[in-house]
Amino acid sequence: MRICVAHETVYRYDAPSSGVIQTLRLTPRNHTGQYVVNWRIDVSADCRLEQQEDAFGNTIHAFSANGPISELRLMVEGEVETQDTAGVVRGAVERFPPSLFLRETALTHADEAILSYAARFGRPVAADTLATLHNLLERVHEDMAFETEPAAASATAAEAFAARRGAVRDLTHIFIAIARAAGVPARYVCGYLHRSDGVADQDHGHAWAEAHVPDLGWVGFDPANGFCVTDHHIRVAIGLDALGAARVRGAHYGGGHEALSVKLQVTQASWQTQG
Amino acid sequence: MLSRTADNLYWLARYVERAEYLARVLEATLRLTALPVAYVGSTNEWETAVATAGCRNAFFARYSEANEENVTEFLAFSADNPSSIRNCIEIARHNARAVRTALTTETWETINGAWLELKRFGNGPTVREEFLRFLHWVQETSLRFDGSAYRTMLRNDAYWFSRLGLYVERADNTARILDVKYHMLLPDDEHVGGPLDYYQWAAILRTVSALTAYHWVYRESLKPWLIADLLILNPQMPRSLASCYENLVRFCDSIANVYGRQGPAQRQARTVRTRLQNSRMEEIFQTGLHEFIGEFVADNNALGAAVSSQYLM
Repeated sequence: MRICVAHETVYRYDAPSSGVIQTLRLTPRNHTGQYVVNWRIDVSADCRLEQQEDAFGNTIHAFSANGPISELRLMVEGEVETQDTAGVVRGAVERFPPSLFLRETALTHADEAILSYAARFGRPVAADTLATLHNLLERVHEDMAFETEPAAASATAAEAFAARRGAVRDLTHIFIAIARAAGVPARYVCGYLHRSDGVADQDHGHAWAEAHVPDLGWVGFDPANGFCVTDHHIRVAIGLDALGAARVRGAHYGGGHEALSVKLQVTQASWQTQG
Repeated sequence: MLSRTADNLYWLARYVERAEYLARVLEATLRLTALPVAYVGSTNEWETAVATAGCRNAFFARYSEANEENVTEFLAFSADNPSSIRNCIEIARHNARAVRTALTTETWETINGAWLELKRFGNGPTVREEFLRFLHWVQETSLRFDGSAYRTMLRNDAYWFSRLGLYVERADNTARILDVKYHMLLPDDEHVGGPLDYYQWAAILRTVSALTAYHWVYRESLKPWLIADLLILNPQMPRSLASCYENLVRFCDSIANVYGRQGPAQRQARTVRTRLQNSRMEEIFQTGLHEFIGEFVADNNALGAAVSSQYLM
């Protein structure tokens, strides 16, 4: 499937900011099920985009721009070709052994409530891992109410779990926290989703979790939708939690309050047949 | 475009590239054997040359010993060796003539002129200097062919198919050198790089004309793992595996764009490129350089087969 992405992020500052520094995790990489046909990033300020690689192997761009800046516009445009690999991610950059992704972070901390919920899944032996994860995916998808807007920007897995509802990010955190509590390495994936109902305009990007299954490798689970990752997903960046895989991290000097608006369009370009 | 035309263009470029590669291997070997034995060790460089050319079995079926006379005859002038330089040029010219109308005048004249001039060398010069001139002439022919195609051909499927042939062959050649000489490239902390290794490493770089490039990139004396890095993963180096695959993906995509459909060839090229992009030298050494190269050669052959079955027949 050939997917076109146009993603615009605009920051507006109350008073012009005197300087901005940002790190962008907005560039997908190739792996067996995903091929980046073309991809470009435009920043409205005068600056030099420096491409680097972070510890997880994500492609990042860092820049700093001097003000006064009253509006900063990040435009990402590209085309990616994907194949359905039944959720299995092969050929991706792996910088660490899977066991690193058992590490708990503040956002994915499993409190008493999550631990007792996780207890029902037990600690799966190698052969049962995949079945357990599918079961977990189904339970999280059914037990948690999915909302398009997060209750709070910084909600942790435990808070979202207590409320039994959350946005994409919260459900993913809950999934990761439970998987790790059950001894399965899991990580957060930032990306884009082409919606099969044909809605092109979206309010924000998508996110899901990957869990490591022995003998199979990393498998993508999308708790917000309740299915495994398909050729509708574009995988951009991974991390231990949403902060680690965040699309944009940055700071600005002066300028008071910043207002953020995002425009995202994910469409299918279907002019090429697969032979 | 007819499959037959595409097939001729593809193989035309492959054979020209192969001829150039053989000329480089022979030249590097001549240099190496001209050195005192104390510098290069007691290995038989002529046997290595045959192995790098990928025709060890065919060679030993005809000769019992690999020496300068036998190997130069076999790799350069033999009519019985299907991929001797002479046969490469003859087959390339044969292919070119079949698709004369798909080539520009300049490209055709290069290849036809080379074929005519080949007769002048007869069954091979007997003097070493004359033989070196022959090797340089082969390399120049390839440069002229490549340059005239680049400067005069329309950017359409005819051009792209010829580029596919060129890069598949080039990737195969680089991989084969690495495959034969990999044991000299393994990192070894204990090892003090003596003159023996220095000349061997320089010979590898010379075969892919990368000796100067190496010093530009690393600004260091020759280190085996850096040589491996340059020839496998560095996309700036035109004969590296990474660079070959960057081009293969590009030209496969161009063909797919024009024809409006894509298939196994595109997928295979992308898969291999992704693997090269996502690999790091330490990881390759850890899992085994020899295994990595072996897998790459198999993958590259699979791409050749995919291109063949998708477009050339």
